[in-house]
Amino acid sequence: MRREAGMSVALVALCMLLWLSNPDFLGPSNLVNLLRQLSMLGIFAIGMGFVIISGGIDLSIGSVIGLTGVLIAKVSSPNAPGLGYPLWVGILVGLSAALLVGLLQGLLITRLRLQPFIVTLGGMLLLRGVSQTIVEGGTLSLGGSPLLRLANGGVLAVRGDPLLPYPLLLFAGVALAASYVLHFTVFGRYLYALGGSREAAEYSGISVRTVETSSYVISSGLGGVAGVCYAAYIGQMSQQVGIAYEMYAVAAAVLGGCSLRGGEGTILGIVIGSAMMRVIDNGINMFQLPYADADGIARTWRLNPNWTFIIIGAVILLAVVLDQVVHLLHARRRLRGANRKTAARDVAPEELGITRSS
Amino acid sequence: MTEGPPLLEMRGIGKRFIGVTALDGVSLSLHAGEVLALMGENGAGKSTLMKVLGGLHQPDSGEIRIDGQPVALDSVARAQELGIALIHQELMLAPNLDIAANLFLGREWGSRERSKRWASYLTPLPKRQLRERSQRLLERVGLSVPASTPVARLTPGQRQLCEIAKALGQNARILIMDEPTSSLTAGESEQLFRIIAQLKAGQIGVIYISHRMDEVRALADRVTVLRDARHVGDLTREQATHEQIVSLMVGRQLSGQYFPDRAPPAEREPGLDVEDLVVPGAPGGVSFQAYRGQILGFAGLVGSGRTELMQAIFGATRPLSGSMRLGGAPFRAETPRQAIRRGVFLAPEDRKSQGLVLPMSVAENTSLPDIGSYARLGWLDRKRERRVAEQEMKRLNTKATGPEQRVVSLSGGNQQKVVLGKWLAMSPRVLILDEPTRGIDVGAKAEIYRHMAALAESGVCVLMVSSDMEEILGMSDRVAVMHERRLVRVLEREELSQQHLAHLMTGGASVEAAR
Repeated sequence: MRREAGMSVALVALCMLLWLSNPDFLGPSNLVNLLRQLSMLGIFAIGMGFVIISGGIDLSIGSVIGLTGVLIAKVSSPNAPGLGYPLWVGILVGLSAALLVGLLQGLLITRLRLQPFIVTLGGMLLLRGVSQTIVEGGTLSLGGSPLLRLANGGVLAVRGDPLLPYPLLLFAGVALAASYVLHFTVFGRYLYALGGSREAAEYSGISVRTVETSSYVISSGLGGVAGVCYAAYIGQMSQQVGIAYEMYAVAAAVLGGCSLRGGEGTILGIVIGSAMMRVIDNGINMFQLPYADADGIARTWRLNPNWTFIIIGAVILLAVVLDQVVHLLHARRRLRGANRKTAARDVAPEELGITRSS
Repeated sequence: MTEGPPLLEMRGIGKRFIGVTALDGVSLSLHAGEVLALMGENGAGKSTLMKVLGGLHQPDSGEIRIDGQPVALDSVARAQELGIALIHQELMLAPNLDIAANLFLGREWGSRERSKRWASYLTPLPKRQLRERSQRLLERVGLSVPASTPVARLTPGQRQLCEIAKALGQNARILIMDEPTSSLTAGESEQLFRIIAQLKAGQIGVIYISHRMDEVRALADRVTVLRDARHVGDLTREQATHEQIVSLMVGRQLSGQYFPDRAPPAEREPGLDVEDLVVPGAPGGVSFQAYRGQILGFAGLVGSGRTELMQAIFGATRPLSGSMRLGGAPFRAETPRQAIRRGVFLAPEDRKSQGLVLPMSVAENTSLPDIGSYARLGWLDRKRERRVAEQEMKRLNTKATGPEQRVVSLSGGNQQKVVLGKWLAMSPRVLILDEPTRGIDVGAKAEIYRHMAALAESGVCVLMVSSDMEEILGMSDRVAVMHERRLVRVLEREELSQQHLAHLMTGGASVEAAR
């Protein structure tokens, strides 16, 4: 929990800083937008978390998000070249496709013993191409579809702005269910065991392949749920939607304390990690410092939006470096402590009688 | 010894892997309340036989009966249901989970059947109950740590006791232990023997795999010996003398000719002086002197700190304090690279991961530590690489199709020769050999001994860590004995005897004091 605690403190401090520099940061419109963005990232980052904790990786998640959205737009968009079926048909098709992708990738990984990185890399490229083919290189508009209300609507409206957007409710539900599954059930225990030591899991009679396959189904499935949200949020689908999102998910999971070696991480951590990613992203736009220029005219200094990736990348590196430094310091202190303890123990003179032959 | 059908009977078990016969019509029987020792050299088929019993391998032929009933052990789960528990040599615990989670992994709901239902996957874990039951199991094996301790924090000995507790929790009737004392201290081993006595009294059948003759003679009611995938003999407790077991295992009487005759140089020239070297985790400093042209053996139980000491000398781990001299001049290695530059080489115990790059060829492995000297303006001189590798293969009689063969496909003995070859090509001053003949067949062993003798003769200072008593006695000019990470004593050749060594290795002095 060390990582989660550290990240929570950092997150709160960052939010305070942003709020001090720009009170609009916690204003209703920015806050709701931030929560909406955070929720959509959080949903598929949790999916990625399942895979990472079981010792794998799912690079196809961004493409699954794109494919789900594109399928929904194609099947249910009232505008040509959409097919105009009811919305539930589109969502059903999109989510089924996502689950199927997860199942196929999981089976390839577990039955043929292929490396998750390669299988999901192939899946990522292939599905991106499928989306591109469906949209025929252009965009599919969801204008007029009731789906748009999913992203923009919500409950507890304050002056027209819903305080709790639907994606946030969805995210809360996913996070609670995932916490329960991962931390309180046998299945969750098996995922950790698999990530910690595949052999131990296998030799304990766990059906390793079923558990591992399930993690990819969950990941893709949650990618699909996120895809529905993004389709609703963006309103028109192109092949671009979801590109590189898998990297955001990995970053959120790792920031939140997951280890890519597997067997480590919590849902709470992933939620905090997702929040961190989104707050930084949003904060780069919001941060401002008032200053007076040479002529004494009041001006505002802002971060260059081109620095976004520099900052996000630096934060990820900083987090893992700090974590490792703390880890090494702890290990060293334990080691020295252990040496002192054993050295202080009373020893028989016999035991110390190191005879030297010279 | 008991009436009725035996608890376990294996008849004519055969198992082939691609190109290798691992088991050839092996039979074995075990009665309730009996300890059966299973012995044989490495590669004789012991592990395969036990994996068949544990449900990890399916036999190609033969029959297995439990209580006289034929059974099919087609999965780990099925074997466990039938009361078979296998304690592996490489311990099978998930380090990121706590003890309680590990003890009941895969059996959270008591029976495996219930744990396999989908609903059971998603119902809450009875965490507190599992913890309480785990704590009781830990008490039974005499391990006094909370069941909520992560396994990563346990010592190898404690993990071994956890594995036994796990098997007890499965209500196993047939318990298989594969070299259980290899990572235990003397005290922990005695604890284990007490537990085995309790298990016997509780009518549990134990199959005990070990190379330690004294343990086998103390524990076993019967001994079954395997050689070259075949069953070669059953011995009763009375018949199971050291000589009898060894001659069955190797198929002939061992003779002194095995080890080359050597006369160490009369003069003692300084080779490696180690002064108060404190290795992380050790209770104090270690000091010894090793001479040129001699073989200094390091005896001790597994876990006595010998490998860690060698790694510190080689610069693979950093000692906390202390100093060393090489041929009289100050020597200090913070990385293996620095040690290698000064001619201090290590042939590690873990040959496959630390000694070799398995997917690379014999030639590539041979040139690896000295790769810079094979480069001309950055271009690798492949011809020279090949020539050097061929030369070493010839010197060591390495059996490979050529320098291009990948070492992964070589036998253990030939792999070890490649490791030796890469160091011999660089003219060593100090050569550290950590378990140089572990997992190597008898023929290759004798060859490696010959080369060790030749190396010493040429003036190299050889340090040899070995858990094989005969090897220590047969090859060493002097022997340093380690116990619980201390160097207890350095024995001269005249002082060497098996009893004396065993006494010191097992913490002789302190055990006597306790009695």
